[in-house]
Amino acid sequence: MSTAMKRIAIKEGLFAGSLDDLHDVHLGGSKCGACGEVGLGKVEACPNCGSDDLSQVALGDNGSLYTYTIVRHRPPGNYQGPAEFKPFGLGLVEIDGVIQVMAPLLPEIDSLRIGMPLRFHPYVLRTDENGAEVIAFAYGAAGE
Amino acid sequence: MSNVYIIGSGYHPFGRFDKSYQQIGSEAAAAALSDAGVEWRDIQAAYMARMYLPATSGARILRCLGATDISVIDIEAACASGGAALLQGMLTIQAGAADLVLVAGTEKMPRGFMDPSMIYSPWQVELGMSMNPAYWSMRAMRHMHEYGTTHEQIAMVAYKNHLNSVHNPMAMYRKEFSMEQILNSQLVCDPIRLLEICAPNDGAAAVVLASERKVRELGAQAIKIAGIAHSISRYSSDFRCPAESMSATMDNVGPTGVTAERAYAVAGFGAEDIDCFEVQDTDAFCEIEIYEELGLCPVGEGGRLVEDGHTRIGGSHPVNMSGGLISKGEPVGASHLGQIVELVAQLRGTCGPRQVEGAKTALGHVLGAGGNCAITILQK
Repeated sequence: MSTAMKRIAIKEGLFAGSLDDLHDVHLGGSKCGACGEVGLGKVEACPNCGSDDLSQVALGDNGSLYTYTIVRHRPPGNYQGPAEFKPFGLGLVEIDGVIQVMAPLLPEIDSLRIGMPLRFHPYVLRTDENGAEVIAFAYGAAGE
Repeated sequence: MSNVYIIGSGYHPFGRFDKSYQQIGSEAAAAALSDAGVEWRDIQAAYMARMYLPATSGARILRCLGATDISVIDIEAACASGGAALLQGMLTIQAGAADLVLVAGTEKMPRGFMDPSMIYSPWQVELGMSMNPAYWSMRAMRHMHEYGTTHEQIAMVAYKNHLNSVHNPMAMYRKEFSMEQILNSQLVCDPIRLLEICAPNDGAAAVVLASERKVRELGAQAIKIAGIAHSISRYSSDFRCPAESMSATMDNVGPTGVTAERAYAVAGFGAEDIDCFEVQDTDAFCEIEIYEELGLCPVGEGGRLVEDGHTRIGGSHPVNMSGGLISKGEPVGASHLGQIVELVAQLRGTCGPRQVEGAKTALGHVLGAGGNCAITILQK
């Protein structure tokens, strides 16, 4: 499936798969051939050892919540959340037993628990000045 | 390495003032010079810690004391800027390049959450991942989950520090708050509440460093710098801002642990031989984690350490006698030097109601963005 609308990632190299079909979008990672660590998105050098022997991988869509907080006040700067601020969860999501990723959380704030299963959720955040849809991500409750 | 001493200290109170940063900074520098009994024209090099001020702030501030032709260098290492500046000052003397050095920190900051563009990537700002307290809170939440640390124990840190601040003229808030007031204050990022975090503000602090030769020549009352270390966090050791991702398998020692180990090695003694501490309580939980990483107690027992009263003035390991950043506020460039002003006063025995009796050794610790950490150990 493709759309007429051009799409871009909120950060270049953050995702694996075609942005045309959100079902095919996953978080991307850079796996280091030297130390085996995985960095988030496309990186120039391994965040652990600095090696440039990196291969691009797609991270799994399932994760579990390692820790979280609830952001109770509108974050400063160019925050693109709802015009009327609503408190939301922010957490560190463990994926594939190899990486933990900082991410906004979609479940109701009162339902958040450390260890809860979560699922990757790519979405259209906004349309940029060139008319392209900007794809961002969050994690929702597994099964939703 | 030759010994380096602090022979004078001074500050401008921390708070919010209708004054320029040049006035705030130069008043602190003048106070330190006066305390040391030396003149500005005697100073052979100067370092100015600052984060939010414009380029060449050090030169612009110190020119207020008279335009000499010495080296004046601005230093920035986030919340650890003051420690990085102190380290450079010490090394300058140890290298034999100067006998008298001024090290100062000055800041003037806007109210509210810090400007996220200084620390976070634009995409993180768009998604609301750009609030410093969120990252501290996530650490607190995990610690509570793993070790059973409680909301009450976190609040006890804020209670203790607010109580200590009452007698400190440097502090912005000099008010005691009850446990109920703290636990009922507004949630900022769960589990951290408004009376449990520090505020960015204005302030300055300064010290005069001298070589052993200069101390003898002046006959100065001197406090020895036993050790200074500065580091940034190792991979996957810290999820303080602005973390994007961590390893799920590696659990490296955090920046406080790494820096403490280095500072203890230089000093030749460790936590058990240190009489009083000033540490980075940007939030109340942070202090609990720092107890553990400095080695005041085993990992997981920081909550019990404060609950049992060990970190009060009069306890076995007094921490943040000044009231900490929770009471003083955090003028980032000035915060570590503000700690040093307090610790020098503790070692001189001039702290009045907040004095740690017989203190002979002291440690100052700062920690911030990028895992920037600095520790200074002083000895009478």
